[in-house]
Amino acid sequence: MPKLALIVASEKIDKLFPAVTLGTTAAVSGWDVEMFFTFWGLLSLKKGFQPSGVSLDYKEYEPRFSEAFASGSIPDWRTVLVQGVSTGKIRIYACSASLGMFGMKQEDLESYVNDIVGAATFLSKAKDSNVSLFIS
Amino acid sequence: MNADIVVDAKYKSCPGPMIALAEAVGKARPGQVVKLLATDQGAPSDVKEWASGTGHEFLAAEKSGEVYEIYVRVTG
Repeated sequence: MPKLALIVASEKIDKLFPAVTLGTTAAVSGWDVEMFFTFWGLLSLKKGFQPSGVSLDYKEYEPRFSEAFASGSIPDWRTVLVQGVSTGKIRIYACSASLGMFGMKQEDLESYVNDIVGAATFLSKAKDSNVSLFIS
Repeated sequence: MNADIVVDAKYKSCPGPMIALAEAVGKARPGQVVKLLATDQGAPSDVKEWASGTGHEFLAAEKSGEVYEIYVRVTG
């Protein structure tokens, strides 16, 4: 099966949502998925994190997003991620340097985080990926 | 076309329909036909690609009003 590698560097919903959509869709299609959460993306792995909104550049579209979310047509980003994780095909890595930058510890992270790793480890896991994307 | 299982993912945007279909197919028995109801315009081609990648059989996609009826036969 193919492999997808995603680097998630933002915690804004307009970045998180496409990232987890691709990751989970790949997982339910039988792909292996490696997701590396770095910089602000790491914040989204903090227990109970809820995105504060869309990126500043797209603020004018926020009401439309909120309506779609409220109507149930767009699922909750974490629900989508957890559905992907439940397939056993997604591995989630927290960036060790970002963890240090934010003064966070392993126990601050959601239980579905597989490991805390550096860039070299993630590159090694991702080196045979068929699709690789940096989402920020 | 007759279906053994119907999955209603109308008015759900991507990736809702694919997740719902994958979950239903995962629980179904080989040979059963699953019908996905979706309004997301990407659903017919998404299901076709998903089936070709996972080895399930894409049977048909029909449109009734704004609703796509997409049929997949579960393989073993």
